[in-house]
Amino acid sequence: MAAGDTPVGEEARPGRPDDPVGRAPAVRPFLVTAGRVAGARSGPPIPVETQVVTTAAGVTALDGLSFEAHDIVALCRQPQSLAEIAAKLRLHLNVVRVLAEDLRSEGHLSVYVPNADLAQDISVLRRVIDGLRTIPDSRGALRDTD
Amino acid sequence: MTPTEPAARGAAAPTAVRPPLPVKMVIAGGFGVGKTTTVGSISEIRPLTTEAAITEVAAGVDDLSHTPHKTTTTVAMDFGCITIDSTLKLYLFGTPGQDRFGFMWDDLVEGALGGLVIVDTRRLDDCYAAVDYFEHKGIPFAVAVNAFDGRVEHALDEVRWALDIAEQVPVFTYDARERGSVRDALLVVLELALARAQG
Ligand SMILES: Nc1nc2c(ncn2[C@@H]2O[C@H](COP(=O)(O)OP(=O)(O)O)[C@@H](O)[C@H]2O)c(=O)[nH]1
Ligand SMILES: [Mg+2]
Repeated sequence: MAAGDTPVGEEARPGRPDDPVGRAPAVRPFLVTAGRVAGARSGPPIPVETQVVTTAAGVTALDGLSFEAHDIVALCRQPQSLAEIAAKLRLHLNVVRVLAEDLRSEGHLSVYVPNADLAQDISVLRRVIDGLRTIPDSRGALRDTD
Repeated sequence: MTPTEPAARGAAAPTAVRPPLPVKMVIAGGFGVGKTTTVGSISEIRPLTTEAAITEVAAGVDDLSHTPHKTTTTVAMDFGCITIDSTLKLYLFGTPGQDRFGFMWDDLVEGALGGLVIVDTRRLDDCYAAVDYFEHKGIPFAVAVNAFDGRVEHALDEVRWALDIAEQVPVFTYDARERGSVRDALLVVLELALARAQG
């Protein structure tokens, strides 16, 4: 599994373009998660944009963790979405869902599940709109107007 | 609890690092229409790729059992992000629009602010599934015709007619390689979402 080969922590630095991360290999989710996959349990899966952050206890426990658990807890010292964890560690999304839930229940991670009705929240929509409006046209593009 | 304060699951106190509130939009369309290009034009990180395991719809999904012979497929999705401010982050997920990826779509699209369906007018058929999906789910969306090299083979009203797109759905041309053009395309969708939320 590629996860053990992937250096973690460094690429989590915000504001720096991440290295391109290739597609996950055709992994065997059952090996990593002891037979459980997210979605095989009740309730909707937690959203892909859900933020995951290492707790103080997780930082303390880091040296004692191994493999994917170690990599996830190390990576999430900077907040990451589930999708980012999956991409950077080359794990399947559902594997990350299961592992994040395990690590949360062990107190190593905090998992911030976004409220489902955010998409209809007027103030959130306005903030996104206002934020996007400040984004300039491409710099250095071959055009000299606006 | 206000919508801007997601609950942290679990008893452990979070570290000092508080994550931003994440929101997302979905960029959909057939293979090669410019989804990854679109995400990359505006994302502050180079698009990342992850593969989600999906269960083929035809196989029948049984949430309560582990059927060893269930047909699963992996599908790649590319994504990027835009930090709106320290408390709000927009994720953009690019996903193929084919029918049989329905299972993953639900997983991905739940809670999305809106969708952008990308169309290459040389292959209009590729986007039917995405248009149908957003319509069916009632998610605000717009249809963006990627003008490869400035050429569009069909006029916009032909596209609208061919795809049988409702009058209130915006259809426009844009350039997937231009950040400003992608920004404006996303804004069209967000304005729709806002109007709907206010309505
Ligand atoms: N000339 C031109 N090429 C484009 C444009 N948008 C995308 N491409 C190219 O078309 C190919 C497919 O684009 P990509 O974004 O990977 O499509 P995806 O499969 O939908 O993610 C890539 O080689 C892009 O560089 C465009 O507006 N003009
Ligand atoms: Mg792509």
